Amino acid sequence: CLFTIFQGGSSASTTEYTVRVPKNTSKKYNIMAFNSGDKVNCSAWTQARMERDLSARRIYGEEELPEGGAGSEFGKKQREEARRKKYGIVTREFKVEDQPWILKVNGKAGKRFKGIKKGGVTENASYYIFTQCPDGAFEAFPVHGWYNFTPVAKHRTLTAEEAEEEWGRRNKVVNHFSIMLQRRLREQERGEEDDDDADKPGKKKKKGGGKGGDLRIHDLDEDLEMSSDDSDNSMGDDGENKAKAKKDKAKGKAKKKKQKSNEKDALEDSDDGDYEGLEVDYMSDESSSEEELTKEKPNKQEEHPKGIDEASESEEESEEENQNEEEAKEEEEEEEGKKTPVQVEKKKKKDSSGESETSDDSDIEGETASALFMKKRTPPKRAAGRGSAGSSRTSSRPGTPSIDSGSTSSTLRAAASKLEQGRTTRGPSADSPAAKRLKMEPSSQSPGPSGKSTPQPSSGKSTPSSSDVQLTEEAVRRYLIRKPMTTKDLLKKFQTKRTGLSSEQTVNVLAQILKRLNPERKNINDKMHFYLTE
Amino acid sequence: MSEKSDVDLTGAKLNTGVWLVKVPKYLAQQWAKATGRGEVGKLRISKYVSFTLNEELTIIEGIEDKTVSAPRDHPFTMQSVGGQMLAVFTESSSDKIALEGVVVQRAECRPAVSESYMKLKRLQIEESSKPSRLSQQLSKPVTNYKPVANHEYNQHVHKICKRARADKQQVLEMLFSAFEKHQYYNIKDLVDITKQPVIYLKEILRDIGIYNVKGTHKNTWELKPEYRHYQPGEKTDE
Repeated sequence: CLFTIFQGGSSASTTEYTVRVPKNTSKKYNIMAFNSGDKVNCSAWTQARMERDLSARRIYGEEELPEGGAGSEFGKKQREEARRKKYGIVTREFKVEDQPWILKVNGKAGKRFKGIKKGGVTENASYYIFTQCPDGAFEAFPVHGWYNFTPVAKHRTLTAEEAEEEWGRRNKVVNHFSIMLQRRLREQERGEEDDDDADKPGKKKKKGGGKGGDLRIHDLDEDLEMSSDDSDNSMGDDGENKAKAKKDKAKGKAKKKKQKSNEKDALEDSDDGDYEGLEVDYMSDESSSEEELTKEKPNKQEEHPKGIDEASESEEESEEENQNEEEAKEEEEEEEGKKTPVQVEKKKKKDSSGESETSDDSDIEGETASALFMKKRTPPKRAAGRGSAGSSRTSSRPGTPSIDSGSTSSTLRAAASKLEQGRTTRGPSADSPAAKRLKMEPSSQSPGPSGKSTPQPSSGKSTPSSSDVQLTEEAVRRYLIRKPMTTKDLLKKFQTKRTGLSSEQTVNVLAQILKRLNPERKNINDKMHFYLTE
Repeated sequence: MSEKSDVDLTGAKLNTGVWLVKVPKYLAQQWAKATGRGEVGKLRISKYVSFTLNEELTIIEGIEDKTVSAPRDHPFTMQSVGGQMLAVFTESSSDKIALEGVVVQRAECRPAVSESYMKLKRLQIEESSKPSRLSQQLSKPVTNYKPVANHEYNQHVHKICKRARADKQQVLEMLFSAFEKHQYYNIKDLVDITKQPVIYLKEILRDIGIYNVKGTHKNTWELKPEYRHYQPGEKTDE
C-alpha cells in the first residue's frame, strides 16, 4: 500500500491516521542496512537464503565432552564449574542472537552478504517501523536489531601476511596476475601434501632414513653393527670402527675417515670422553710411505682375504702391530667400556710385550676372528707400527709422523687405567713401553717430557722369551677337557709372546694338535667349540 | 548453522515502503502500556507530520510516586534515506525470515517542547543521577555463612563410615551400571557410589577396568574395552 507523504505546497489537506502499536507480535523486526556504494536492489532478487553465522561458537564453546555414555566423566560438569569459579574465569555467553547473518542472494552464482549486528541501537532511543495497513491506519513495530550487510568477496584474497609480503615487493613485481596464481599453486601443494599424508609419513621416514644412510660414508658401519651377534665380534667391530675413527683423528688426515668418525659420533651418541683413550701414533722419521699405505687400507675395509694378507704382511713389522693393538685395545676398552676376559687378557698380554714383540697375536687373531675385526687391527697396526721397527726405544716411541697430539694426556689416563686393570705382575721392563708412550705424549702436547710420571704400573711383560705357556698337546688337552673352546679361544691361550712362536707357527702347531686329539665339536652361540671328555 | 531458511521476498518485490522513525524512550515506554488494539495516538500528516499521543497514555509514573504528564504533541522531523539502502526483514518465532519492505522515509519523533516535557526531563535526570550504590544503616548485624566445601554430611560419608565389603557380584553390577552412565570415573566417586572400601574396590576394578592417566589431568578408571559396549545410543554389556 502506497501512501503519499506530504507534498510541499500550499493547502495540503491534513489526514489523520491512527497509529497502532500491535501487541504480542510473533515477528521481530530488524533493519538490513546496505552501503550505498554496493548498489543493492532488493526488488531485483529472485531468491535469497539467510542464516546465522555460527562459526564463533567453536571459539566460545569449550571442548564438548559427551555428557553421558561413552567418553563422559562422572561429575565433570561440576568439577569444571568449580574450577572456573575458583579461578574467576568469566566466559561470555555465546548468544545466537548477536551472531552475524549470512545472506546468499540468487543462489550459488549470486552475491553473498554478511550482516553484522550494530550495537547500541536500542539503548537510548527506540526505532519503530511504521507501516500502513489496508485500513489506512499505521502500525508501528519496534526495531529489534540493526544489521549492516556488506558484500563478501567470492574471489580468492591474500591473507594479511601474504598481503604484507606482496606489499614489500610491490616495486619489483610487475605482473600482478602472478601473485594469486602463485598462491593457488602453493595451496595446491599443501593440499597434495595433506592428501598424501597417509603415504607420506612412511615415505618421508624412509627418505629420512635413506638420507641418514646416504650420509654415512661406509655402509660397512651398518654391517659391522648389525651382523655379528658375538660379543667379541661386535665389540671388535665397534672397536674397529672406533679405533679407526681415532686413527683418523690421530692422523689428522683421511677426511673420509673423519667424516665417518663424526658420523659415528652422531650415530652413537658418543661424547667427548670417547676420545680420551685415543692412542696417538708414535713419532717416527721413517715409514711415511707405510703410513700412506695404511691410510689407504682403512678405506678399503673389505674382504677377509685382505685382512689375512695384511696380517701376513704385518708380520714383518713387529712392534708396530703390538703397539697398535695395544692402542686399539685400549681404545676399544676405553670406548666400549666393556671388557671381555679375552680382550682384557689380550690387552694385558699386549701391554706386557716388549718392543721387540711381534704382532703374531694379531695375525692369529686375524685368521680366527671375524674379518672385519681383523681388518680393524691391521690398519691400526700399520699406522702405529711405523717407526717401531726397531726394538728398544729410547726417546720417543715409534709412531707415525703424523702424530696427533690431540689426545695425549687423555691417553695417559687411559693407559694408566688399563694397565692398572691389567696384570700387575710383569717386570720392570714393562715400564719402558709405558714410559716411552708417556714420554711421547707429553712431548707432543705439554711441555716437560717427564712431567707426567707413569701412572701405569708394571703393565706388560718384558720379553717374549719368558714363555709361560708351551704349545703342547698336553696343554691343549687340558684346556679342552676343562671346558669347550673355540679355536680362537685356544689361540688366545697360546699367545705368541708367551710361546715364543710366530703366529703362523702357532696356527700350524695348533692345527696339528687338534688333528691328533680329534676333539668333539659342539655349537654354542653359533660358534664351533671343541671339547674333550675324559 | 541451524536455521537455514529461504527469505520471503514478497515485500521486496512489491516494493513496500515503510517509515523508519526514531522515537524517544519514554514514548516507547508509554506505547508499551497501550491496551486493547494497541492504539497509541494519531498521526497527522499535512504539510508537517506530527503525532499526537493519546490522552490515556500521557501518565508517566516515576519513582517515589511522582507522576508526570507526558507531552502530547510530537512533531516528526522527516529525513531522507540518503543513498543508503535500508530493508526491513522480520524473523518469526518459527525462524522464518521475510523481507517486509524497504525504508522510504526516515523520521525522528520529537516531543513538542512544553512544561510537561520539562518536568518529565527533570524527573528523568533525578532518577539517573541517583547513585546505584548507597550506604544504609542496618538495625541488626548480618549473619554471614562461610562457604564450606566439605560439609559434615559429606565428611561422614567419606571418612567416618566404615564400609563393608559387599558381594563381589553385587559390586560388579553396581560398577557396570555406573559405567553405563559415564565412561570415566574417579576412584573417589566410585567409592561413593558403591560404598565399598577402597582397597577392595580397587581390586575389583583391576579386573574389569583400566586406570588411565588419560592425558587430560585426572587419573580415572574406565572399563576394559571388552566390557565396554558404548554406542552413540549407549548400551552396556553384562
